[in-house]
Amino acid sequence: MKVENFQSEFEKVLNKTNFSKKFKPIQEKAFHQFLDTGLPSKKWEDWRFTKLNKFSKTLYKVSETEHSQITDFNFSKHHISDVSTLTFFNGHYKKEFSDHIPEIEIIDGLIDSKHKEEISSPTDSPFELLNTAFMDSSFNIFTKKNQILEKPIRFLIVSSSEDKLMVSPNINIKLEENSELTLIEHHVGESSNFFINTSTHAQLLDNSKLRHIRIQSNSDSTINFSNIDVNQNQNSQYDFFQFASGPELSRLNIHTKLNGQGAECSLNGLSLSSSSQQLGAHIITNHFSPNCISKQNFKNILQDKSSGIFNGKTIVNIDAQKTDSKQSNKNLLLSKDAIMNSNPQLEIYADDVKCSHGSTTGSLDEEALFYLRSRGLSLDRARNLLVRGFATELFDIIKHESTKSFISDRFENWLKNNAS
Amino acid sequence: MLTIKNLHAEIDNKSILKGVDLEVKPGEMHAIMGRNGSGKSTLSNVITGRDNYLITNGNIHLENESIVDWTPEKRSLEGIFMSFQYPVVIPGVNNTYFLKAALNAKRKYLGQKELDAAGFLKVIKEKLNELDMDPKFLQRPVNQGFSGGEKKRNEILQMLTLEPKLAILDETDSGLDIDALKIIAEGVNRYRNSKRSFLVITHYQRLLKYIQPDFIHVLIDGKIVKSGGKELALELEEKGYNWLDS
Repeated sequence: MKVENFQSEFEKVLNKTNFSKKFKPIQEKAFHQFLDTGLPSKKWEDWRFTKLNKFSKTLYKVSETEHSQITDFNFSKHHISDVSTLTFFNGHYKKEFSDHIPEIEIIDGLIDSKHKEEISSPTDSPFELLNTAFMDSSFNIFTKKNQILEKPIRFLIVSSSEDKLMVSPNINIKLEENSELTLIEHHVGESSNFFINTSTHAQLLDNSKLRHIRIQSNSDSTINFSNIDVNQNQNSQYDFFQFASGPELSRLNIHTKLNGQGAECSLNGLSLSSSSQQLGAHIITNHFSPNCISKQNFKNILQDKSSGIFNGKTIVNIDAQKTDSKQSNKNLLLSKDAIMNSNPQLEIYADDVKCSHGSTTGSLDEEALFYLRSRGLSLDRARNLLVRGFATELFDIIKHESTKSFISDRFENWLKNNAS
Repeated sequence: MLTIKNLHAEIDNKSILKGVDLEVKPGEMHAIMGRNGSGKSTLSNVITGRDNYLITNGNIHLENESIVDWTPEKRSLEGIFMSFQYPVVIPGVNNTYFLKAALNAKRKYLGQKELDAAGFLKVIKEKLNELDMDPKFLQRPVNQGFSGGEKKRNEILQMLTLEPKLAILDETDSGLDIDALKIIAEGVNRYRNSKRSFLVITHYQRLLKYIQPDFIHVLIDGKIVKSGGKELALELEEKGYNWLDS
């Protein structure tokens, strides 16, 4: 899709009658900014490796109400027990497939938000601007002080259409002091050609804790971009884990800002790619205050001609003394044709900090393979065991048991199809 | 049990073994001694089937079957075991899981019923006791964070679990303090019987004080230049290897 093709689609957005008028100025402003900024090109440093060819060639349409008819979608396949689920089908909230969660405000078509002022203004990133301009549904979670939501809340985000659709979900989270929440973003769907561009804005007040899990298993012909922006106050904690086995092209952008003393963030991901998939992670952790702890731990397992990107940056600003920061990117190439672009970066302006970073990319350890085979395990079994050993430490980050076993089942499935 | 005839092997076009002949009968323990670079480790690697070695001449038989075309796993399942000189660390793979998978692969191959978790634990607890090993070992990833002695004990634990016909101990004494060495030697000695054979590879005679071989062979430049009884070890300690150089 070229910049000029968005104009007619944007008019459809403005003409939607179920949209509250008060959002229109925000959307128009974002759209004009998007027109000025334009789409990224290979000359943009952070976009050098992202394969945008398919996106450029495809004409996407906004998702209208008629696209929200559920005909034969298999929900049971994506069931996770012991979570409260809200279903979004081609960008539209489906009440009949959702649990009732009083804590959550759902705005389908952006009608009457009590929290209009809370919808954050986007940065100048083209896809964030695009999300704001085209946002078609919004989910807002605002906790109360000291509120602890034990049961995870899952957004089941389904893309299932024969049409080439563009969907722009917008998630806003504000955790009041001492509150806790587990949010699962679960992206699924078998559509033939889909572009999903999510923006998530989270604000974590003092001592609050957000566990954010993304499960991304869209079909091979989907493009999934995610823009996550997190602001953390004193002693708040943000734990992120992404498990991605789909889609054709994905780009995870996270920007966490550790604004208050003692804040902690732990950002983790496991990407499994095969055929010609490209799964990328572009992570910025920004330390603004003293005594904060941050961790980035991303792993890719790449089969066939697939590729991966890790662009991780940790910035320690001048006031962020006593920062403790670790950054790690490890990648396993299961094929000679797979490519990993790994670029861990540290920018340190404070002088009393503890920072480490590292990146390794390689194939399976021949010594270890021989060791396992010399104990009677077949070559396939040995490979399997090593790949599993490489990945599974990440699963221990997930504290919610049924989510953890759902993810490890998906992992085993992938292994069966791709690593033997 | 093991018959090696006129074995020539090379790695990266470099000839290492230049005609080794060796016969190990059931119940016998043979020691191969020699300096670093004499070809001792190549011999054990070629017997266990490591990829990058090329056999250019000769043959290896296990109980009258040629094994040179067998995969490493087939050799293991047929009863060959090597205690590694440098046991490999396998991050993320739990020791119990690994041992159970290995034991069950073998049981399956032999047409025996695979063990469930409880059955396996019963087998392994007994072996752990024998080697004075803490059961906590089982919960850790294979060899990760193990001391040199712990790694070697873990190798012997695997030997006792898999019950091979032919066990190759490749420099098992290196990196061991005297207490660990005694425990391992006792484990090996208890495992000896009239049907099981051993090939002990070492360049010191230290280990041979505790594990007494029936025969000792000296390997120099890819050939066995001298064979004898256990008294040969003492002679080597006294005189070194130089008197055997041609």
